[in-house]
Amino acid sequence: MEQLNTLWMSTGLANFEFGQIVMMLVGCGLLYLAIAKNFEPLLLVPMGFGAILTNIPVAGFSEVGGLLHYIYYAGIDTGIFPLLIFMGVGAMTDFGALIANPKTLLLGAAAQFGIFATLFGAIALNAIPGFEFSLQDASAIAIIGGADGPTAIFLASKLAPELLGAIAVAAYSYMALVPIIQPPIMKAFTTEEERKIEMAQLRHVTKIEKVIFPLGVLMMTIFFLPAATPLVGMFCLGNLMRECGVVDRLSSTAQNELINIVTIFLGLGVGSKLSANAFLNVETLGILALGAVAFSIGTASGVLMAKLMNKFSKEKVNPLIGAAGVSAVPMAARVANKVGLEANPHNFLLMHAMGPNVAGVLGSAVAAGILLALVGQ
Amino acid sequence: MENLTQLFIDAGKLMLAGMVFVFAFLGLLIIFINQVLVKLAIKFPDPVNQNSRKKAKVKTSEQDGVSPQIVAAISSAVSQYRQKHNNKE
Repeated sequence: MEQLNTLWMSTGLANFEFGQIVMMLVGCGLLYLAIAKNFEPLLLVPMGFGAILTNIPVAGFSEVGGLLHYIYYAGIDTGIFPLLIFMGVGAMTDFGALIANPKTLLLGAAAQFGIFATLFGAIALNAIPGFEFSLQDASAIAIIGGADGPTAIFLASKLAPELLGAIAVAAYSYMALVPIIQPPIMKAFTTEEERKIEMAQLRHVTKIEKVIFPLGVLMMTIFFLPAATPLVGMFCLGNLMRECGVVDRLSSTAQNELINIVTIFLGLGVGSKLSANAFLNVETLGILALGAVAFSIGTASGVLMAKLMNKFSKEKVNPLIGAAGVSAVPMAARVANKVGLEANPHNFLLMHAMGPNVAGVLGSAVAAGILLALVGQ
Repeated sequence: MENLTQLFIDAGKLMLAGMVFVFAFLGLLIIFINQVLVKLAIKFPDPVNQNSRKKAKVKTSEQDGVSPQIVAAISSAVSQYRQKHNNKE
């Protein structure tokens, strides 16, 4: 009889806690979004599955000795996984559109207002009982507005590791929702006439420009913001490998095999942070709400900046491409293109929108560096 | 409450410093592109061979790019014309 009792006590059924069941359902929800709705499936599949694994009673996946525990501490706590992903993203990024039209960097800069405005919002939530966000927490939440998954995970692992699960889920969910969130905001801030603006064709960018560009960006980061060099440095390494033309094998590995392998582990590691006690609280709801606000403000400020530039510049910019200033490469650029085509079926904005889009990646890495430098101690 | 006010002030300072820095950094990058990269591009243009090769490739791809439907339409029109022509004779 006693043996039967011991056997029963070692089953999952006897040890389930309510929170674990809810979190497993959250994991299943992420799997559903990834598989049925195709929302960021590359990350949400391992993340959702990681959430299920980490909540299995008795197995102890996220305790010392458990697989997910080591994945998290080896790759995310140290910041290695998001940085390797950033190298892969660098190897996939073509800065041609940005170099051909450098003033689109201003659009990428303006869209970062979403980050800093959300910082304010997160602090404001402290007025509601149940919320206690420190400046570090608020900074980590605000970076969701940068719409850049690896940057958000990197910063959250440094500033607020206990909020990492909720921040990563919010960041990737909203990135997947870009085609739904952005168009209404873009239309609200522009007139039909503005959406029809056609832009001049981009000039040809030579190879030497593309090779020197990542080195120049790195040099500037070294001089002015060393705190951002982990992110910017890895990004520039990936980009240099792509553009220099002598290490095609490395470039191909960084943007294919390596980034795929790291994505599996990154997803599992983030999933391990989706435990009941860390996720099932009112703060998560606050983070999800703030993430949507951050995205919306970033989109709006990019569009408004483009309109401001039109007031001072002879060469007109279609304000829709301002919305691509929130990184979310290349989804945000595609959305700008699509909304532009709705207004004028002959107006292809995709290449023009790639400029602010990759500027947004640089901008959010710089913003992350600023937050690390100012509140990271 | 006082604590919250202090946090608000800190967040405000962070926002101001952050936005100024982001604009300054990316603004400097614009100057870098306009002053350094553009001059480099003029001094060291891409080798002409590559360009002509690329152009050649584009031309062939354009030729290849004629859709099979158009080719079919033209050839059927030609054969019809020939048939009519032959019938008249």
